[in-house]
Amino acid sequence: MLGFLFARQTGLEDPLHLKRAESTRRVLTLELNKDRVVDRIHGNGVNTLDIEAVEGKYMLSGGADGVIVIYDLENSSQKPQYTCKSICTVGRSHQHVHKFSVETVQWYPHDTGMFTSSSFDKTLKIWDTETLIPAEIFNFEGTVYCHHMSPIATKHSLIAVGTKDPKVQLCDLKSGSRSHILQGHRGEILSVKWSPRYEHILATASTDSKVRLWDVRRATGSLFTLDQHNGMKSKAASEAADSAHNGRVNGLCFTGDGLHLLTIGTDNRMRLWNSANGENTLVNYGKVYNESRKGLKFTVSKGCSPEFVFVPSGSEIAVYALFTGKLITMLRGHYSYVDCCEFHPDFQELYSGGKDCNILAWIPAPRSPVLDDADDQTKNGGSLNPAFEDAWSSSDDEG
Amino acid sequence: MDNQKRETLSALVEELTTSGQPQLDSAKMKQLKQICKSSNEYIDHIYHLIMTQLNEDHAEIRLSAFQIADELFARSHHFRSLLVSNFQEFLELTVETDPAEQPLPPPKEAAQKLKIMAIKSVQEWQSKYGEAYKKLAVGYNFLRHVKKVDFNDVEARTLAERKKAEEKQKRLENIYKDKVCKVEKEMGEMASEIQECLTEIDNCFKLLLSDPADFTFDDFIPSSYKQNHFEKSTSTQLISNNQLVTPDIDDEVPCCSKDLLPMSMLSEDRKVSESTVKHMANQQTKDSSDDESDIEQNSGHDNETFLRNNGIISYKYSLDLDISSGLNINENENNEAVVATIRDLHRLITTKLLPSVQSWIQIFTKAGINDDRMKRAIDFKKALEIAIKKHEDLHINYKWRERKVLKASHDDDEEDDDDDDFEEVPEKEGFEPTIPDHLREEYGLEPSQKEVMQTAAPDPPPRPKRRDDNEEMDPTCAAATLKIFRHKLQSSLSSSMSKASESILSSPKASIESEKQDQESAAPVIPFGLDLYYWGEDQPTAGRILKFSSQHQFWVPHEVEEEVENKELAAMMKTRYITFAGKFEPVKHKCKAPMPNGSLCERQDRIKCPFHGLIVPRDDLGNPTNPEDIVRLEKEKKEKQEVQPDWRDPEMMREIEAATGVDLGSAKNFGKGKGSGKAKKRKYPNLTDLKKRSNTTRSRLEKRVFNKAAVKRVTEAMNRIDSRKHEKFSNQFNYALH
Repeated sequence: MLGFLFARQTGLEDPLHLKRAESTRRVLTLELNKDRVVDRIHGNGVNTLDIEAVEGKYMLSGGADGVIVIYDLENSSQKPQYTCKSICTVGRSHQHVHKFSVETVQWYPHDTGMFTSSSFDKTLKIWDTETLIPAEIFNFEGTVYCHHMSPIATKHSLIAVGTKDPKVQLCDLKSGSRSHILQGHRGEILSVKWSPRYEHILATASTDSKVRLWDVRRATGSLFTLDQHNGMKSKAASEAADSAHNGRVNGLCFTGDGLHLLTIGTDNRMRLWNSANGENTLVNYGKVYNESRKGLKFTVSKGCSPEFVFVPSGSEIAVYALFTGKLITMLRGHYSYVDCCEFHPDFQELYSGGKDCNILAWIPAPRSPVLDDADDQTKNGGSLNPAFEDAWSSSDDEG
Repeated sequence: MDNQKRETLSALVEELTTSGQPQLDSAKMKQLKQICKSSNEYIDHIYHLIMTQLNEDHAEIRLSAFQIADELFARSHHFRSLLVSNFQEFLELTVETDPAEQPLPPPKEAAQKLKIMAIKSVQEWQSKYGEAYKKLAVGYNFLRHVKKVDFNDVEARTLAERKKAEEKQKRLENIYKDKVCKVEKEMGEMASEIQECLTEIDNCFKLLLSDPADFTFDDFIPSSYKQNHFEKSTSTQLISNNQLVTPDIDDEVPCCSKDLLPMSMLSEDRKVSESTVKHMANQQTKDSSDDESDIEQNSGHDNETFLRNNGIISYKYSLDLDISSGLNINENENNEAVVATIRDLHRLITTKLLPSVQSWIQIFTKAGINDDRMKRAIDFKKALEIAIKKHEDLHINYKWRERKVLKASHDDDEEDDDDDDFEEVPEKEGFEPTIPDHLREEYGLEPSQKEVMQTAAPDPPPRPKRRDDNEEMDPTCAAATLKIFRHKLQSSLSSSMSKASESILSSPKASIESEKQDQESAAPVIPFGLDLYYWGEDQPTAGRILKFSSQHQFWVPHEVEEEVENKELAAMMKTRYITFAGKFEPVKHKCKAPMPNGSLCERQDRIKCPFHGLIVPRDDLGNPTNPEDIVRLEKEKKEKQEVQPDWRDPEMMREIEAATGVDLGSAKNFGKGKGSGKAKKRKYPNLTDLKKRSNTTRSRLEKRVFNKAAVKRVTEAMNRIDSRKHEKFSNQFNYALH
């Protein structure tokens, strides 16, 4: 650290290096911290989380009981202890609340004045954050598993919606109507994601174990399908042709730069693909426990030198190195299945929601005290936290 | 880190957890704590030990492990952080947070205790360390909010359990509600019925009870009776005597005076009865002629003295009744309807109303209803019970009355409240030694034969055999009684009979008769059959089979033998097969082989004892008595010992092996012997044996049914059946292919 600082001071190194090194260090030390608490609002499992990209201050969460909550993440109190308060809630008594489980929530990428939510009650709602009243409601034939808005799009404002129907639908916010239908899948669409690099590129994952990439400007069909065998074996086994996984594909995630795409399937595998040509990079992440029948929301770190993937795996969150596939650590804190996790790129914090109704904040551990004032620190720590002290009885007899 | 300490730590943990005790051994725990205190490394080690023990599928082990963990949790920060880092698993193993996938293992009591204790501890830990250990707090909140564990609930029930209980409660409540509604409806419907019934029965009681009250002033009572009643001092005396014996419920009229009514009538009012009494007195004198001579002197007129001397009240009364029942027919008919109603009402109350009222009350109490509905039901019950009680007070009268009503519908108002004389009535029914002449025609008998009567008289009147279903034996029929007597006369000649002046049957004839009877009794009884039907007859058609010739107009079979004789069939007409299986003889001997506990084998097998072989005669000490048996047994014993020499006791061998570490071959030699099974000790004798519990009927059956050999046998049989089918149709390609 000091070396980095010195190099930075002397101008020897790119500031990005320092930033990356520090954020990497912070990600590696993520832990459940008593200093950060997220208010318990959800009385049911938390299905989805989203942190807005504009300020990085507000977080949306959607619960299995249809409740949507907005949290304030920013700690302006100058103290390490902070409780993320909920600012507003679309509770069960709200007149426009989703009837069934909210599957996906997303902020409007360019402004916090609007957010979208989709639910098993077959609707996609566009909410006005100020009034908490839906500005627009899209109704669908089947249950809505996921939706996504391009985070970078400037030329269109399309929301891709994956439903029970195998056709991916695109809803245009400008006109308030469904403009496109993307045909090709044969199963329910469990996940849709826009590329963060090219605004017209869309990836979709389905229960037919295929992942397709689309250019929404193209009328004829998908650009290509991801093939786990890179075309080697698919000729022999016709059934497995062009399949990304051997089970349902229920999670998609682009890397921050949009060059790679991560998919996760119920065959307990995670795969990393080159998003430009659909090539399987064959990174082996080992077994990633995944039994979800719905979409799984996982995330990738941003701004670290080796990037990391955070994947819910049972009641834990597995942290992998993105390109090597090495399991860095397992974050254990939830008491039931974890459904979603969201990475805060500014503070290198991770928020995760699970079926145990908790939203847990994983905070980088505070840097261990420097050597010279070690004594003071330990003393302070000791006095602050009597709970950390051992309580062996002093006499030898009693033990 | 000292390796030896490490090992002692492991040993201590194992000992503590497998002790099976609900409390930890404090000395061992002290030792353990002392080791842990010295370094965090030991804590690491003990943490792993505890977690492995917690993973054991035995609630007692888990309980003890949890107790150790609890002790250490309060002491070591390092242990706390370790445990909290793996708090999910810890909760799963102790609090049963995942009951579907990971339920707590068996002994149920220990599991329950573990759960309660764990929940309590988690609460304590939370209050003490919750702030410092975030995950502990999260876990606590998880338990509290998601698993809905009520930490104040002593029962430590989880949400699911509580929900189940609630649902059950709700269901029960609903059921009760329905029931109460039904009962309410029923009560509404039946209230009037009950009320009616009660008033009716009350009125009936009033009617009946008023009868005796009016008795003395009643006009239909014959005046002669009254006169008798008051005039005859002797009879009144008798009354007072009898009153002591039989206290009556009826306080107005002494019962025995009524008893006497018919008698007095008999003696003075009616001419017919005169002769009967005489008759009876005669009989009595004959009866007791042997011992009481003075009675003989008594004339038939002196009834009172006779009664007093004899004291046979019953005998006398019964006779009275017989006549009196024939007397007051008019009066009976008046009462009959009331009594019948009472009987019906009583039956209605006991069989229908009271049970239903009781069930209402039961339902009300169960449903916890405590308002006027309940009160009403209770009132009903009380009223009904009072009615029954009233009825019971008059119970016996009514009972006999009922019978009378059923049989003859002869009733007497005066007799209403009298117990004594009616009790004797049924006993009389079977046998009536004297039937008055005027009644003979009524009973369908010839005019009296004094001889018969007299011979019969010495025998005490036989008790009627009511249970006999036979109509002939119907004791109520006088003809049947006479038949019995005749039969008696024929079968045996008693001394009294010989005393009689004339005997109907000559003695030699009787002796032949009796001989014949003896033979008859000895002969076997065979059910009737065809052979008996044709007994001694020659059957021309026996065993012949007739074949009818063709009835066809033109077409006639080539050769028709119209009759075929079948010897077998012919024989069947004349013979009968009687299988003789022999008689079962219970085994009397015992095995008596000496048993290791010193006693003798008590088994009573016919030929061979399953444990001690052939059963041979033995003396009291269990030694065989026959010399060849002794030799044979000796030989067998020797053979056995050769196979398993004494000094190579398998248990001892195993111990030696364990101590020295040298393989003496015990396992090889006795691996299959019975020694290995017995010597196999349980690893932890203090723990509750989980396998023991599985020794249920089901498991035993399973052992049999799913036994490898049995399964094999079944499959073989099935295959055989299958293959047979294939053989049958093997030339059809479809089957041949399979």
